[in-house]
Amino acid sequence: MSKPRIAFFDFTSCEGCQLNKLNLENDLLSLLELVDIVEFREAMDDTADTYDVAFIEGSISTPTCVKRIYDIRRRAKVLVSLGSCAVLGGVNAMKNLHPADWVQEAVYGEDKYLFPSMPVQPVSAYVKVDYEIRGCPMSTPEFLHVLKSIVLGRKPEIFDHAVCVECKLHENECVLDKGMFCLGPVSRAGCEAVCPENGQYCTGCRGLVSNANIAGAVGMLKRHGFSEQEARKKLQMYSSLNKLINEAECRHA
Amino acid sequence: MNALEEKLNRFVKYRISEEDVRLLIDHLKQKAPVYAPHNSGEASFSYELVEKSTDVVLQYPRTMQPIKKFFLPPKEVLLNFNIKDNTYSKPEVPEETRIFFGIHSYEMASLKRLDYSFTQGHRESNYISRRKYAIFVGISYEPDESHFSKSVGIDVEETEGFDLFLLKNDTGYFLLEITETGKKLLDGYKENLVPDREELKLEPLRFKSKIKYHHNRLPSVFDHVYKSKVWEKYAEICVGCGTCNLLCSTCYCFDIRDEVELDAEHGSRTRYWDGCMLNTFAEVAGGENFRGSLARRTRHRLYRKFRYITAKSEMLHCVGCGRCSHYCPVGISMTDIVNDLIADHEEKQKREKI
Repeated sequence: MSKPRIAFFDFTSCEGCQLNKLNLENDLLSLLELVDIVEFREAMDDTADTYDVAFIEGSISTPTCVKRIYDIRRRAKVLVSLGSCAVLGGVNAMKNLHPADWVQEAVYGEDKYLFPSMPVQPVSAYVKVDYEIRGCPMSTPEFLHVLKSIVLGRKPEIFDHAVCVECKLHENECVLDKGMFCLGPVSRAGCEAVCPENGQYCTGCRGLVSNANIAGAVGMLKRHGFSEQEARKKLQMYSSLNKLINEAECRHA
Repeated sequence: MNALEEKLNRFVKYRISEEDVRLLIDHLKQKAPVYAPHNSGEASFSYELVEKSTDVVLQYPRTMQPIKKFFLPPKEVLLNFNIKDNTYSKPEVPEETRIFFGIHSYEMASLKRLDYSFTQGHRESNYISRRKYAIFVGISYEPDESHFSKSVGIDVEETEGFDLFLLKNDTGYFLLEITETGKKLLDGYKENLVPDREELKLEPLRFKSKIKYHHNRLPSVFDHVYKSKVWEKYAEICVGCGTCNLLCSTCYCFDIRDEVELDAEHGSRTRYWDGCMLNTFAEVAGGENFRGSLARRTRHRLYRKFRYITAKSEMLHCVGCGRCSHYCPVGISMTDIVNDLIADHEEKQKREKI
């Protein structure tokens, strides 16, 4: 059996997720025993026609992006979106909250007509996505888990529970109790609660858990002394495409 | 003298100072590894292996993870396997003597419940191996705003399950010999101590959190509140983070995951604490979720504590440690939910009479 041919593509993003893969170092050689990397702009020049697995980093924000993603999907057996931009629209998607003209002018000034831009969307808004690896940046253990699962022909296990779960498993003191801001109670885990564990708070970079109680989350943050405006703004940092964040009415606290 | 005082007065006891308690820890350390509460943050406590007896915190409200972490670890490798050879091996679970020091009565009560759960039907061998030679030294505590163990029938001074017990008094502690094991542990420690003959009188402890009904009445309340509006009320505030489950001293649900290494050959099967408040807990193949709403999940959690296992084991499966209330990020209190259910039940009864 020949090794699966995998490829990496970058769209609108900081390319940090791709860089994170090059940081695998210790595992990189074993990884190459398992798969053939046939296209990876950040690391090599080669290109290929078809892929067993295509990993997509970044959001879709220009007409060229749309063309490219359709093309890649046609040539890929399995397509995986990688990182918050690809999965959620991510930080990029905050631009959708402002008038497009104003944003383009702020970024490109007079040359704005040279750079056609569209409202930011996640990859799944355009093509079928088989698996999603969240995070800003994506976590390498989770990336390896998904890759190994695909190679072995099993469904990867992607968590849909709160970061609180991981903090509790690690017996971390609650950062909300310490007076810090935190979105851990409604944000997706899988990161091993790396931020709260190291004295930071959870910014919700993996997006919200499904069926998240957003009104409850706003109420929770108010209870800990944060304003409703701050709560909603921080919830929007990675999840601005979630319309409920502005709409959910907080009747408590 | 009430029944509890009568019971306590039957034990041989010694009057010791806090300094002596630390010497006792040093003494016990020579016999077996000692685990006790330590500071683990600004205002957080956790059970850790004692290196220095002066690090042990004697008076603390509660540790974050309950004592179950030593018997049902948060993360545990169950199997190592090889998918090429189709072979597997089980990591050995050592059966060793461990001394758990400075443990509160509700923790001991929670182990009694876990003992029940893990010996019903298929016996949980890993749990049983870890539990077998465990020795417990209890300690009394000052209830804080979240403790309500008295409301579920567990006194602060309840000695059941302990081998030795430390009861705080004005000058230090009373050290009570509860079992033969406990008595033997004191060999070489108590030589200079004289048993204290003075009659024990307990100060009535004030619990700030209380359940309105006697604990015997609670299972019957749960016969009538399945369709209560109270569930919705709490589901509106709850964010479903699962903290209440994970830190619950009697919750034992776990999830099992397999992970294969990069050689696509070796791998391991690991279990992790799981919780029924989590969105995917009752999700099955095809995406159907039997408890898709937070109201249903909250109801299930409470019924597991006060009705379902209680009917089989004749023990409430809530021990009043107050972890779910204390660590809840939105401030939902267990006693508030139960008291609301009681009020709802009473109102319903009134209406039915008319």
